[in-house]
Amino acid sequence: MALLEIKNLCASVGEKEILKDFSLTIEAGSVHAIMGPNGSGKSTLSNVIAGNPAYKITSGSIQFKGKDLLKMTPDERANEGVFLAFQYPVEIPGVSYATFLKQALASKMKYFGEKPLDAVHFIKRLKVRAQALGVTDEMLKRPVNVGFSGGEKKRLETLQMGFLEPDFCILDEMDSGLDIDALKVVSQGVNIMREAHRSFLLITHYQRLLELIEPDVIHIMIDGHIVETGDKTLALRLEEKGYASYR
Amino acid sequence: MPAIDKIDINKGTHLQVATGRLTRHEAIDISGSFVVRVEENARYEAFFLMRGQKADIQVELQGKNASCDLKIVYLSAAETDNVIMTDIRHTHSETFSSQIIKGVLVETGQAQFDGVIRIPFDSQKCEGSQNHQAILLSDKATVKCTPELEIYADDVKCSHGSAIGALNEEQLFYLRTRGIPQAEAQKMLIKGFLSEITPDDKISLIEDWMDAHE
Repeated sequence: MALLEIKNLCASVGEKEILKDFSLTIEAGSVHAIMGPNGSGKSTLSNVIAGNPAYKITSGSIQFKGKDLLKMTPDERANEGVFLAFQYPVEIPGVSYATFLKQALASKMKYFGEKPLDAVHFIKRLKVRAQALGVTDEMLKRPVNVGFSGGEKKRLETLQMGFLEPDFCILDEMDSGLDIDALKVVSQGVNIMREAHRSFLLITHYQRLLELIEPDVIHIMIDGHIVETGDKTLALRLEEKGYASYR
Repeated sequence: MPAIDKIDINKGTHLQVATGRLTRHEAIDISGSFVVRVEENARYEAFFLMRGQKADIQVELQGKNASCDLKIVYLSAAETDNVIMTDIRHTHSETFSSQIIKGVLVETGQAQFDGVIRIPFDSQKCEGSQNHQAILLSDKATVKCTPELEIYADDVKCSHGSAIGALNEEQLFYLRTRGIPQAEAQKMLIKGFLSEITPDDKISLIEDWMDAHE
């Protein structure tokens, strides 16, 4: 059984149809990358999988671990194991990062009928991962994403991903706004999470990210659906030719 | 460091804040009207939490370097409307005022905020700011806000702003993508919104109120 199976999905924002008969199957343990020009629908896809209510599904289906994902609320999807690392993580003034992560983990444990972690185990679980990503205690005391640099925000998204241990991770333009050092730290954070039960969907414009996180499958997305699928050599060919030949 | 007075004002009280002193004032469910006179080099800092009252707060900054800092949180639900009036009078040059008013409304809750900053002709180099923000968690809740600047002096800095709206959908979605259910996410955002001006030991009152109005 595939981990994620999207079939003939159509989705729109307002009156505009963005995803057009989109299909994609992702097996457990694999890394897929979607590349495409601006406006091809990549970010819409990630929002639709995560359950953003601003997008309307007009037809098609998404199965996640054999369950109907479209029937679930965003929080149910998250607790079932879907994680979206945002391209632009939103600022939440007045809510500290530590409080936020504690609430997120407690929600997940409650979802599975477990008791929340006590403070000692929570801190332990958080610190190990925070240190690996260069996230300091001081950063965790600050409000969620407020006043952080682009690189810090992406490191914190990666921290959340490692902390919540999802089965399916969507990285929406993880490489945008990152210098090469920050990109390496974040990529390493992703690579150590690669396991047989976990899959990734990398959404990117550039081949650079795919040198650091090597995908098993690459898809080219144009105008709301996938136009070509191949192995990692596809990204290299794309780098030479651009998207023009697909239009 | 100036000395600190902690005070408790009853209804209709006139309070004189003495020269060179910092006076901190925290009160829950204040109502009625009171006048605070702030002398030279004195500072008045107040936090009020209102859950269905009508209060008329007048502050007179009557000596050089007198300043006041008002922070007000109001919570309105059905049958517990709030009416808040502030009147800040800069009756001396080089006086400073700041006001932040934040409200949350549920059900058919209503609120009215009327805030005036007055700076007469001969009060130069004064600074006054007034900021009101409200979050409506129900289509049936309403807020009326009337900010007013009555400024006759020409060398002053004054600002006011008011923002009233629903909870930010993007923030809500972000929290939910981390597994936090809608109701919990809402509470977190409200708490975050109000905690910016609420003393730590008063947060639990806000949480209790939110639990009672889920």
